[in-house]
Amino acid sequence: MAQFQKTSALSHGIDLTPALWKSFLAGQRQACARLITKVENEPDSIAEVREKLAGRIGKAVRIGLTGPPGVGKSTLSSAIALGLANRDHRVGVIAVDPSSPFTGGAFMGDRIRMENLVGDSRIYMRSLASREGHGGLSPATPHVADVIEAFGMDRILIETVGVGQAELDVLDCTDMVVLILQPSTGDAIQSLKAGIIEIADIIVVNKSDLPGTDTVLQSLRFVYSLGGSNRRPAPPIIATSCQQNEGIDKLVDEIEGAAATLIESGRHEELRRRRIVNEIRSGIQRRLWERYIAESDVERTIERVARDLVQNGESPYAFVRDACSRIELKSRPKEA
Amino acid sequence: MSEYPIKVVIGKPGLDGHDRGAKVVARSLVEAGMEVVYLGLRQTPESIVAAAIDEDADAVGLSVLSGAHMTHFKRVRELMVDQGLGDRLLTGGGIIPTKDQETLTALGVGKLFGPGDDPGTIAEYIRDWVRTHPRMEAK
Repeated sequence: MAQFQKTSALSHGIDLTPALWKSFLAGQRQACARLITKVENEPDSIAEVREKLAGRIGKAVRIGLTGPPGVGKSTLSSAIALGLANRDHRVGVIAVDPSSPFTGGAFMGDRIRMENLVGDSRIYMRSLASREGHGGLSPATPHVADVIEAFGMDRILIETVGVGQAELDVLDCTDMVVLILQPSTGDAIQSLKAGIIEIADIIVVNKSDLPGTDTVLQSLRFVYSLGGSNRRPAPPIIATSCQQNEGIDKLVDEIEGAAATLIESGRHEELRRRRIVNEIRSGIQRRLWERYIAESDVERTIERVARDLVQNGESPYAFVRDACSRIELKSRPKEA
Repeated sequence: MSEYPIKVVIGKPGLDGHDRGAKVVARSLVEAGMEVVYLGLRQTPESIVAAAIDEDADAVGLSVLSGAHMTHFKRVRELMVDQGLGDRLLTGGGIIPTKDQETLTALGVGKLFGPGDDPGTIAEYIRDWVRTHPRMEAK
């Protein structure tokens, strides 16, 4: 796998020059594009970029758009982005498409559905390949959203790859989740009772010009009438048709209403706090892991231990305990 | 230093609707490990360059089978240079006579491919070009 991935790999880094930073602050799209590439390609640079962005992020409402493949996520995202822009918002759109697990390549077709957004200065759209992400998003997604927000966008749409039932990464990166479905999936909804259907704040039945819309709407209302352990109230269910331009305004109203409630209730801030907690946790994990792995030969030791464990069938946790106690010893302050 | 894939924007300018070639090439670049943003049919030079800016593409590929290659490649190249993408590759394919290729090369357009070219060589060409032409960052 790795040998394929390397065939088209690059390793030129991007310099965070004062000129690049200045152009970014001056609203130059080229500079925003470069910064996004930097956080996407160079995870080591995230700390530096994030520090520079401080004070420019935290206010935007991040809206996740998810659903099975082919339900019209990209077309609808485009319509929502325009709707929000027409209500005086500046809108970022991040559209994620799957990377090949074998070649590392990706075919990203969202722009075919988003032609209306090109050349609109109120909107910044970026395609991301999912790379190592397996939960519907690319690992860089939250950092890309930070860059786009700092560029001046106050609504950020994050469209996942086409998902099944349990790709829930979008929940951790956003303030609200819009689940998009389509007609003729009545039976599928029965099986969606747990997982992705539980995280939706708004449900959309798209392509409502097709037959079967009423059946899906009924199934959805039935699923939510059952209640369950979910603490949240049943989400609004909206039928839309991008082709007939129906329901889009209502959906944008609903999104804006939800955004206002989020902010007034303090929940927006609470979600942001949670994301920062996660950021701190993964930052520490990353630093500790790097520090540990930086020791000479530790990677080879792990390989060797794994080989032995396969042979003798023992558990890896004795090695984990030993490794952790060595990290602890190293981080203890030296006694005078 | 981390490694990452090459990003290519592919589109068809103008009204020519023959998109099989563009799709075959896009697919083969994905097979070669590249991230391809596919814009599809009926693009304008302006919309292609705008997409290349926001996507921070390493290379732009045009497919032109309408005979209008001299107009489209020239215009896209001009826009790229004007808008700060002069350090990126512009390549593509179509039915391009040698003489036209020479004129376009003089304008800064990269190699153009035609019927019978192996898609693998296109990937190789893009890869070599991008590797040997690191971006110029403004100082």
